[in-house]
Amino acid sequence: MSTILLEKVARDFTDGETIRRVLFPIDLEIYPRELTVLSGPSGSGKTTLISIIGLVLRASEGRVIIMDKDVTNLSDDESASMRLKLYGFVFQQPMLIEGLNILENVILSLAVQGKKIQNSEKQKAMQLLKILGLEDYINMQPRLLSGGQKQRVSIARALIKDPPIILCDEPTSALDAQSGQVVLDILKRIAVEDKKAVVVVSHDSRVFPFADRLIKLEDGIIVSDTQEEYTN
Amino acid sequence: MRSFTALRMLLHDRSSTAGSLLGVVAIVFLVGQQLSILFGLLNFMSVLVDHSGADAWILSSQITNVDAANLIPSSYLERTIGLPEIQWAEPILFGNGLFKKKDGSFESVRVIGVRRPYLAGGPWAFVSSDNRSLLDVDSVTVDRLDLPKLGSPSIGDITEIGSTRVIIGAITDDARGFQGTLVFGNLEKVRQISKIPPGRYSAILVKFKKGVDPKQCIDKLRVILPRASVYSTAELSQLTRTYYIINTGIGGSFGFSTVISILIGVVIITLTMYSSVLNRERDFAVMRALGARRRDIIVVVISQALIISIIGIILGFLFLAILFNAVRGTSMPHYYPKIVPPIHAGITIIVSLLGSLVALRKALKSEPASVFH
Repeated sequence: MSTILLEKVARDFTDGETIRRVLFPIDLEIYPRELTVLSGPSGSGKTTLISIIGLVLRASEGRVIIMDKDVTNLSDDESASMRLKLYGFVFQQPMLIEGLNILENVILSLAVQGKKIQNSEKQKAMQLLKILGLEDYINMQPRLLSGGQKQRVSIARALIKDPPIILCDEPTSALDAQSGQVVLDILKRIAVEDKKAVVVVSHDSRVFPFADRLIKLEDGIIVSDTQEEYTN
Repeated sequence: MRSFTALRMLLHDRSSTAGSLLGVVAIVFLVGQQLSILFGLLNFMSVLVDHSGADAWILSSQITNVDAANLIPSSYLERTIGLPEIQWAEPILFGNGLFKKKDGSFESVRVIGVRRPYLAGGPWAFVSSDNRSLLDVDSVTVDRLDLPKLGSPSIGDITEIGSTRVIIGAITDDARGFQGTLVFGNLEKVRQISKIPPGRYSAILVKFKKGVDPKQCIDKLRVILPRASVYSTAELSQLTRTYYIINTGIGGSFGFSTVISILIGVVIITLTMYSSVLNRERDFAVMRALGARRRDIIVVVISQALIISIIGIILGFLFLAILFNAVRGTSMPHYYPKIVPPIHAGITIIVSLLGSLVALRKALKSEPASVFH
């Protein structure tokens, strides 16, 4: 059973009076236990596609079904609650909030709607940071960490909710080779061992060997959707 | 966690937080200082009425303020004092004269004559000697804050007011009026100084017996004295204050200054909070992407505005307290009634929230989709 199901999903943008289609009707199913890579050149529509999958952008046409629920026409607040419950995000830049320390940045992901943090959740965040090799940094401000460390914090922030879907936007593009390797190892392990649907948007060829499935987009159309040969 | 995040953001963004705090402190301090002077002047305007100890005042008809009272006949006093509801009724005289200083020059003074032995309407606070000094027919009081103006006379000094011999009998403590330097004397002396004919008074002060209804008594006095104005002390105080506020431009002037102070504060708060949110636009977009609803962003921004306003109010009141302490005992009018601080604080919070609205609008425009660009 697929975690994410897109049916004839398309997206238009308006430039003044002209309407520009950036994503042509796409049918796509994304499964758990897989690391799916969306790849393609700039302007191919991959960012638009991951934004629609991540419920931060509405499709102009088609249906979006997440975990068997049609989420196409959810309100802003309902979409936000779905993101909180079902999604973990890893962005191109780690986008940690300055002012909050590393531990607080991780637990913010749980408490962004005002939920009171339980001690057990704090312990879980510390455990996650420990697994990611950041146990010595929990009280530090994000600016004091390296790019790779920050990206690992953002992975912890995505995982703390134990969501079934992890969406990553160019997670390695700002990292050196070694840090990129560490991050991809973690994402692969999350997909396989934690049975999550991990979607990575990247045009970094270093990512491809980790993919269970590689989907290529060009000019808003899926031009290839391949499996196995890229499996590590 | 939302309020906690708001606090942590404020602590991190020190320069913009300091700017917003400055806006709130400016509102609290500048408005508080303006209000204290205004209330101080209001007190001056009705000082004689407020400290009279009377329940009601009888004055000439159609008066606009206590200082504009024409003379009334002494028969009003006799008709008043005969009423069973009256505990006492005492006449008072207001006049003007020139106080002769030691160096031979003169200073214009407002003279108030009160009748012995009750001395109702007389001075109420002293630094040297006391009320009893006015029992001496030649004795007058002057205020310590007016002493330099009057050539620094001392107790026992003999001088002249309006070519009439007087002795400085007591020195009052902050018994000063809006219409200039107040000098209290006894009725006969003031009549002589101001050349007021016998059988005439400026006003009659009335004290009702305990248990009587003041409103009924005032109505009764109005019937008995149809050609006089009869006011309760509170009414006359309000009438006098309103007259001066409207006719001297004080109300408009202080109102304008207060509005300008509030506007300056709002502009500072708006700009600094807007700039802070502008710098945090990406963070709000991240929070939205992580699952924050619009209302959660509102909570964060409003929490920031509330934290800033509460700290700003505390600092502003602290600075005001320092100012009031510094001007205590000086000639600068200042009075800040206890009822004002809560209202002042409440308005400041509202103003701070208004100042944060532009920033809030910007924060709510943070698009979660922008995190993928």
